Amino acid sequence: MYRRALVTWCQGRSPVVFAQDVCLYYPKSNETANLRVSRTIVPGVCRTLTAGTPLFSKDPDELPSQDATQRRDTKEAERQEEGKPERPGKEKLLEILGQMKVEVVSKKPKVPQEEGRSRPHPAEMESTISMFQEATAGVSQQREKLSPKLVAAASAAAASLPDSARAESELLQQLRRHEAVTQAQKATDGSHIGNIIANMKVGRRPPLAQTGLRNPLDDEEDEHGGRRKAHSRGVATDEESGRRKKMQLGGKRLNIFTQVDAKAKEEVAAVPAPLTLSLWDVEFANTIGTVVNTLPRNGFEEMIEWTKEGKLWKYPIDNEAGLEEEAQVPFQEHIFLEKHLDEGFPKQGPVRHFMELVVSGLARNPYLTVAQKAEHIAWYREYFQSKEDLLREAGAC
Amino acid sequence: MEMTSCCSVFYFRNELAVLQALSSTVQRDPTASHYRFQDDPYLTPRTASEFKLFSLSQESGRNAAKYIINTYPNFFLKDYAEPHIPCLMPESLQPKVTEVCEAGLRELIHLRKVRSAVDMYDRLLQAGTVVSLELTNNLLDLICFYGDQDPVQGDQAEPEKTAEGEVVQDPAPRRKEGRFRKSDSLHRTWRKDNNAERIFHLMPERNERSYGALIRGMVKYGAHSKAFDLYTDMQNNRMAADVHAFNALIAAAPEVRQKYSEKWDLIAEMLKQMNKLGVRPTLLTFNTVLKSLLRCGPLSRALVLQVLGEMKALGIEPSLATYYHILVAFYRQALSPSTLSRTMLTTDLLHSMMDEISGKVFDALDPDDVYFFNYAMNICCSLKDLGLAYRVHSLLNVGDNWKLLGNPSREGFYYGSLFNLVCMMENIGVVLQWYRDLVPSLFYPNSHTMRDLLQALDADNRLDLIPEIWKDVKQLGLATVSGDLAEEVLALMARDEHSPEIQESFANCALAVKAVYGHGEQSQATLDFTASALCNMATILLAAGRTDQAWEILQLFKANNRVPSEKLLDEFLNSAKSGSNSEQAVTLVQMSSSFSLPATARLAQRVEQEFDLSEEQKKALQDVEATSDSDKD
Repeated sequence: MYRRALVTWCQGRSPVVFAQDVCLYYPKSNETANLRVSRTIVPGVCRTLTAGTPLFSKDPDELPSQDATQRRDTKEAERQEEGKPERPGKEKLLEILGQMKVEVVSKKPKVPQEEGRSRPHPAEMESTISMFQEATAGVSQQREKLSPKLVAAASAAAASLPDSARAESELLQQLRRHEAVTQAQKATDGSHIGNIIANMKVGRRPPLAQTGLRNPLDDEEDEHGGRRKAHSRGVATDEESGRRKKMQLGGKRLNIFTQVDAKAKEEVAAVPAPLTLSLWDVEFANTIGTVVNTLPRNGFEEMIEWTKEGKLWKYPIDNEAGLEEEAQVPFQEHIFLEKHLDEGFPKQGPVRHFMELVVSGLARNPYLTVAQKAEHIAWYREYFQSKEDLLREAGAC
Repeated sequence: MEMTSCCSVFYFRNELAVLQALSSTVQRDPTASHYRFQDDPYLTPRTASEFKLFSLSQESGRNAAKYIINTYPNFFLKDYAEPHIPCLMPESLQPKVTEVCEAGLRELIHLRKVRSAVDMYDRLLQAGTVVSLELTNNLLDLICFYGDQDPVQGDQAEPEKTAEGEVVQDPAPRRKEGRFRKSDSLHRTWRKDNNAERIFHLMPERNERSYGALIRGMVKYGAHSKAFDLYTDMQNNRMAADVHAFNALIAAAPEVRQKYSEKWDLIAEMLKQMNKLGVRPTLLTFNTVLKSLLRCGPLSRALVLQVLGEMKALGIEPSLATYYHILVAFYRQALSPSTLSRTMLTTDLLHSMMDEISGKVFDALDPDDVYFFNYAMNICCSLKDLGLAYRVHSLLNVGDNWKLLGNPSREGFYYGSLFNLVCMMENIGVVLQWYRDLVPSLFYPNSHTMRDLLQALDADNRLDLIPEIWKDVKQLGLATVSGDLAEEVLALMARDEHSPEIQESFANCALAVKAVYGHGEQSQATLDFTASALCNMATILLAAGRTDQAWEILQLFKANNRVPSEKLLDEFLNSAKSGSNSEQAVTLVQMSSSFSLPATARLAQRVEQEFDLSEEQKKALQDVEATSDSDKD
């Protein structure tokens, strides 16, 4: 697009040159054209003349005169649009341009001549202005963005072409596009030529897709080619990323295994892993364990090791740690031991009394398990049963 | 509902949570040695060799205690611990069941007594007992794992020792691994018709596990083609191998084919069969594929990334070993000394790899995981890419990734490479920062590293730090390891002129260096004086204005049969002149003539012109001149 813009710009220029040629061949123009020129230029005659070609001068002071030229030029265009093609109009325009050039080249002798001619016809002036305002209200808004000098030049150029109205609008459109792009460039990064080049799409290949697909083997094999490519791209991007080829790891695959869909995955997950580890698994875990660095780096890490080995109390600290089996036994089993006296002991008497004391003592003993307590009572049961005769003799039973 | 979620906040997730939280608050102390040496300040290692020695002794002490407890369990019956701590009690290594039965066999297998278990199995068969399939498979596992030999007693201690005893200078983990494998296969091979095969053929019925065990054993002990024969047999019996058997076969594939392309074809064939049988590959499958691919020559480069792509497509998370194998495939040639020119071209692989994995926490899933960091750092060193090295290092500091650096010697090598690179590429401020951060706590530099550091000092004009560095050198026990380090220190100090304070500290340092030379009182290893060392010492002392000590050095030339340089004698003469000590000047000329230096005549002339000489001294000078003239004739 940009290239085209440049081309049209050139096209816009050539008529100017052409105009110059024309003015070289026909140094003198007809009255009207000359009149107009002199009329518009009057306020700043000297400056206009000294500034060289007014089309490309940058002095803002000249704007009034340029506005006038523009208006006049567009008026010419409007006239043609309205279907009144004026052969002389075109000629006039060319003459104007030629005149201006000539004035520049030989300015001193011309100056008095111009001043002498400077008298506008007010009626004509008015009419042209109003026409212009009515017909091109919309266009003018767009045009505001463009430099009036450029517009003038464009319309002048267009006038030289057969279909001048269309040519002019095309030219202006191109110029506006050009303007828009320039503005965008300015907004981003001054007038850096690198940016302009970078934004050009000419001959630029999509780099990522290509390198991604490139075979890594080729990548390494043609070192020089690869680097050259990187450099050529490096113009646009910054140096660092240009040097580095972006390599996508594992972009390509072997395509041996079929993809498992979610359902099959669930099925796999549903199958329980074998509960018993084989010797191979255990030893594999051991190998990994010996290979990695497991030395504790501080006291806490050492304590973690010890906790895992079971050498340390586990957090949170619990004084019933290690009594997991006892935890299954409810406390009433420990406390209410009278039920053990139901069998094998007399219902009353000193033995019974003694055993009740034993049971109450055992109930308060936290150090014995229930089984041990039962065993204790069972010992007394046996003892008293073996001594039953003696007890009977003594009348204690 | 809300209640439970509220409470769960206050519940401990596990018994380690408190300790882990506390541990995360402890930072490494860069000035201290490793935590394992905290108990006894006397046994704080100062050098790499001491570190090795002390850790080995610690380990062997632990093993000795365990050995005693296990050998004499009858002395350790009292159980003081409440609750009971099983790991402190002696392990029962002797079988309790003695009669011939399945339980006895099971116990023998559990105790890993290969030979007795085989005997027991034979006797069971003779007695007509039918041993269950599962138990026979367990027995097969045992025999195949240990290659039909009893495991070496104290198996735990052995790998630790070999790993610790590894020479630090050995840079390539690949080479080391190769050595391991060789020594492994040297005294352990798969004997023909061994017990495993015999029992396998005796089995009335065999299942996948029996085949798998035998295949794995065959591959482990080098009977590669046999393993493939067995696999064919298995296919004929319409059995599907499990993933472990396939892994073993893939590992064996490069051994049974000659051409690179054929090797790969076989690997691919195995993978295709896995897919056909519906065996899901694991991480280890792909790591084995990559490892085998490394033996397929130039093919490996083209294929490793595709293997990685396959893993990703299947949703298998790669481990560090995966990346290590890929790196090896790409950088193997670049790192070999013969092809230095190609080093530049593959930078990008490690870069993009780091893009992918930086910030990730890795678990140890493959024994090869520990090679990654060393290899990556090695690459950074060869490429001289400091930024890349920092990225690798930051990955190491993520989570528990430091564990994957492997044992201390590997750690030392890693930090050595890193520091070497930093010395080369960074300015001296950063270098010293790294030095202070790494040196006593993480690794003990060797003389090469110290030379790098000296060069970095020299490059940044911070020679004034040399005395400090020399102290470290001495403490690290490097002063006497190689003479050139001491020489380099002296040469750097003698080379330029400095401000008086620095000259003073240099002079002290030079005297400290001097103590390393000559014969010490104890039978310490010392260095012989060289001419350049003596010259540099004398120059430094003269520059600091310590004439007397410089003269002592001059005497040492004679004692050690070394010849001083002319420049040094000139400097001595200058210092004698500034002190207008004509006595010294004449002695100097006499000394020069005794060394028969060609400059004697010139020196004598200088002395005659520049000093006020007594008659006696003039005569002495004339004598010297006469002798030197006669020498010339």
